[in-house]
Amino acid sequence: MTVRALVIDDSRAMRRIVSGTLEGFGYETRQAGHGQEALDVLHGGWVPELCTIDWNMPVMDGLQFVNAVRANPAWRPVTLMMVTSESEHGQIVRALAAGAHEYVIKPFTADAIRDKLALLGLLPQEVSL
Amino acid sequence: MTDVSDAGLRRRATDAPPAIADLLHEATVCEIAEQAWLALVGEDEVLVPLPAPLPADALSSWVEIVGPWTGAVVLTCGRDTALDLTRALLGGHAPAVVEQEDVHDALGELANVVGGNVKAVLPGPSVLGLPEVGTTPPSGREADSVRVALLWRGSPLTVRVQSVLAERENEVPL
Repeated sequence: MTVRALVIDDSRAMRRIVSGTLEGFGYETRQAGHGQEALDVLHGGWVPELCTIDWNMPVMDGLQFVNAVRANPAWRPVTLMMVTSESEHGQIVRALAAGAHEYVIKPFTADAIRDKLALLGLLPQEVSL
Repeated sequence: MTDVSDAGLRRRATDAPPAIADLLHEATVCEIAEQAWLALVGEDEVLVPLPAPLPADALSSWVEIVGPWTGAVVLTCGRDTALDLTRALLGGHAPAVVEQEDVHDALGELANVVGGNVKAVLPGPSVLGLPEVGTTPPSGREADSVRVALLWRGSPLTVRVQSVLAERENEVPL
């Protein structure tokens, strides 16, 4: 079964990089430029197994998106992984407390993403560690 | 009993803001930039700490940090270098034609990543702004900045962490 991911980042370059990394692991991906755009995707019925979420974005930031997803019981199965340059300890705690499952600090490597996915049980079996 | 562990660190509202050179060393900025380059631009992409003049057509990207220390992290390089950086950053995900929007986006993201990691070593809590790109980065106090000059693939670029100018310093005398 194909695992789906919604990549949320206001940087087009970063969306391409994260999407490319995930597609290399066998994911089907879609992209959103900010939290509200991502919520529109979810409301539209495309509910992925994973969302990767930047923190600092216009319109709706990553933390607001996490709060909005966690407020909707229908989206409880969605795994939320922050992928952001926000690396202050307090911010990491805030994101995890709001309901994010994992936190990846930019800059990251493909190996770091793969390791996090393995921890989350979201690494397709055909991808070796 | 008074906790004296941070007694020397507390500041009054009237105190002058801390000088960036007291908070951050050039070596730290270099290290942060190098890590960003290795992870985002390519694992063989090294930055060499050597000063060289920037070209006249320089392009900058920057993010502002607002907190106990307030200022900006500014990345500056030539336009050709910015284009090469964009291609390298996107790698196999690069579009057939790299447009100016792609260049601004990539340069902005590099400033965002470097700025976010600079923020992490400064006193917090702080807020990181969204990246901006242009030819005229925000002015700062030259004397209150940490600037590193680097070479990437032989082309010069700089990373400057600069305190924001106070409002009075921005005023133009009549």
